[in-house]
Amino acid sequence: MPILSTLLCFFCLWWPISVSADEFGVVVKSAEMKLQGDNYVLAADVDYQLSMRAKEALENGIPLYWIVQLKVLQHRDMLWNKTLVEDSIRYKIQYHALLNMYRIKNEHTSEVTNFSTLTAALDSMSKVRDFSVIDKAALAPDQQYFAAVKVKLDRDSLPLPLRPTAYVSPQWFLSSAWYVWSLTN
Amino acid sequence: MVPDKLKPPIGVSIFILFALILLSLQLMSSATQESSELSAMYSWLLLVNALGSVVLLGLVGANIYSLARHTKRREAGSRLTARMVSLFVVLALAPAAIVFYFSMQFLHQGIDSWFNVEIDRAMEDALELSQASLDQRMRWHLRQAEQLAEKLSNSSETLATLELENFRELAGASEMTLFSRQGRIVASISINPGDILPSLPDEHTWLQLRQNGDYVALAPVRDDELMIRVIVSVKTKDPQYLQVLYPVPVRIADLADSVEFAFVRYQEMNFLRNSLKLSFSLALSLVLLMSLLAAIWVAFISIRNIIAPVKELVKGTQAVASGHYDQIVPVLAQDDLGFLVESFNDMTQRIARAHDETRLAGLEVENQRAYLETILANLTAGVISFDANYKIRTANQAAYRIFHIHVNHFIGRSLLELVTDYSELAEPLKSIQRLLEQADDIWQQRIAFLGSNGRQELLCRGTPLFSQEGSRVGAVVVFDDVTDLIQAQKNAAWGEVARRLAHEIKNPLTPIQLSAERLQHKLADKLEMGDAEMLQRSTRTIVQQVEAMKEMVDDFSEYAKPSKKQTVSIDLSALVQEVLALYMARPGVKFKTAYEAGRLMIKGDPVSLRQVLHNLVKNALEAIDVQGVIEIGVHRVQKNNADFIEITFYDDGPGIKEEQMEKIFEPYVTTKAKGTGLGLAIVKKIIEEHGGAIWVDTSRRLPEMADVSQSSGSRCDKVGAGFIIQLPACNFEQL
Repeated sequence: MPILSTLLCFFCLWWPISVSADEFGVVVKSAEMKLQGDNYVLAADVDYQLSMRAKEALENGIPLYWIVQLKVLQHRDMLWNKTLVEDSIRYKIQYHALLNMYRIKNEHTSEVTNFSTLTAALDSMSKVRDFSVIDKAALAPDQQYFAAVKVKLDRDSLPLPLRPTAYVSPQWFLSSAWYVWSLTN
Repeated sequence: MVPDKLKPPIGVSIFILFALILLSLQLMSSATQESSELSAMYSWLLLVNALGSVVLLGLVGANIYSLARHTKRREAGSRLTARMVSLFVVLALAPAAIVFYFSMQFLHQGIDSWFNVEIDRAMEDALELSQASLDQRMRWHLRQAEQLAEKLSNSSETLATLELENFRELAGASEMTLFSRQGRIVASISINPGDILPSLPDEHTWLQLRQNGDYVALAPVRDDELMIRVIVSVKTKDPQYLQVLYPVPVRIADLADSVEFAFVRYQEMNFLRNSLKLSFSLALSLVLLMSLLAAIWVAFISIRNIIAPVKELVKGTQAVASGHYDQIVPVLAQDDLGFLVESFNDMTQRIARAHDETRLAGLEVENQRAYLETILANLTAGVISFDANYKIRTANQAAYRIFHIHVNHFIGRSLLELVTDYSELAEPLKSIQRLLEQADDIWQQRIAFLGSNGRQELLCRGTPLFSQEGSRVGAVVVFDDVTDLIQAQKNAAWGEVARRLAHEIKNPLTPIQLSAERLQHKLADKLEMGDAEMLQRSTRTIVQQVEAMKEMVDDFSEYAKPSKKQTVSIDLSALVQEVLALYMARPGVKFKTAYEAGRLMIKGDPVSLRQVLHNLVKNALEAIDVQGVIEIGVHRVQKNNADFIEITFYDDGPGIKEEQMEKIFEPYVTTKAKGTGLGLAIVKKIIEEHGGAIWVDTSRRLPEMADVSQSSGSRCDKVGAGFIIQLPACNFEQL
């Protein structure tokens, strides 16, 4: 059974690293909806801590894609929550060897920013601002609403050979949990 | 059971499964190509293939488990299946393992060969070269910008704004912007008049600028156009910053891009080397695993199909071995095995036929034997067969009738063993045993003995049996009860004698008598007194003796002539009473009679029967002499499924002596001084002519009475004699 043994070896190989390595992962530290005119816009702060392996990949020119997922849910007593909005922003972070720069591209706005350090790049990416989410009129005043934000590393966009590893190695488990908060009008 | 569930559309399902496996493997293989659209599905394909492998593993596992169970239970064909499957697995696994090993080797070596130190170095050098080239250009532009700033510092702010356009053209820059110290745009000029807003430096740039006093960097600006951004301070009384954006020549930018692309690609590949190996190995392992598992599974099914007729054959053989010859094994295929199965069926049918024939033959022999046994059993002659040790092997029914012994119960025992149980038969049994042991050839012997029915005479014929080799294997003894036959012969002989005597003697008697009487008549007067008296006496003697002789001759003729002259229905009890009435008046004799109620009818000649009764009563009266009792009973008895009327006749006279017992019914046997000795002979003759029997009842001679008679010596006159007469009863229908 080569596949099983391969996977097993794989785990054995990676487990100690994942245990001994520094804290890594992505956490949504805070998020809120602000009213801007007639629209609710998202303002969220995310803390990106890349694992050794992810940093290594990035430094070797492999682009990492991050998806900030957003949901607005309407609470219903008898039924399951109704999803009003489901949207996402996709960021691409890539290292440019020639310029020795980190480049972040917001695929939502096609905005490209260059940074000379990784920390600066991640700092820039950690602030999600002015993301128009929902029209104020869409929310009824007597209803209860929730918003949820999650930041996910898009593993399916990794180079193919890396994907099987990424699916099983904790080094690549970089997505955050859902950050849920109640919306108040 | 797993195999049975999988059976019905087996061919189709195998085909579909293989198609699916091939498809998913092909898809996975395509997905590994980076450019492929399927690459997004790679993970799913991997999962599906892994699941497929698990399912196949499950199927193979279930088959192995089932096979192991069958083998453990030693089911038919299971061991052959196990052997074939293991052979197949070994045969399939060995080349597959070799191919797998070398494929892995080639794969790893192939991937490793992409990377080496020289290329690594060259790549890095190329990148460095591009960077150095760009660096040089940046330094040069920095100097140029500094010179421009120098020039600008001498002119006033308004002038500087105007001169900016000249400077831009002079320097060949694409954009030139003058910032105040606070970052406010003082003036800006661009090669492209449409760009109203200049490209602004970011915070990081400002920070660096404040630290170093100038800033130069290569950065993509706007539409990813590579530009050299230079910012220098303009030393005026109100310090300002001059930002100049120099375009990088297209050729240089392209070359740099190309170098960077190649470098990044190489870096990426180098980084992914292990992952690449892993994923290729994974794909290869998965392909091999699935192919192997599928092949093993199909091997299980195919081998099971191949083995199926063998299995049936084994079952059939076991059944035939245990005696079930009606086995028809289904012919599953028209191949060699099918031919074998057909031959097996043919063979079992033949065996079954042969078996049936043997059974029928056995049955026939058995029937024959039973038939012979029936004949033997119904023979009037008794037949006993013996083995080589003179032990009884078979005996027929007649043997029982003659000996009154269930000889059948003594099979396996010798005749001498019977002697101890049946002492009254000691004499004949011993004789037969002796003859069996002595005779080497067919022998014949008459043996007389006293049985329970009185004296019996047997005619025995023995034949020793020899095997084909000449050794003695036993003997057969056939014996017949010839008592009645001999008696009849004797009776016939006596009858003939009596008839002749009567005829020959009676004829001269009358002339003798007449002559004597005439002699007396003629000579009486002529003779003297003395002589005449003598003559008269002699004549009287002659006449008396002639009379006596006549009487005797009459008796003889009586004995000789057939008694059953006319047959009518007679009520026997009435007849007995009628006869007894004549003797009732006789003093000293007491008659005890017992008649069964109802009419006891027989068919016969009343005159003859009356004579029988007279003779018996006379005999009894003579025996008891002066005083005594005569008991007479008439009743109905059943014997051999036939009705008989039995007359019992007892007196308390002196009885019959042992030595006379055997011959009492023969003519000229008498105990009396007077009498012809024909009385009982005539009685017997008449009774036998009526189809009846008469015998002396020995059962009345109780042992204690016999003892008394012996102890009292000559005084044995109270022993008494008894006769039993049985005559066939006449049914009312016959009346």
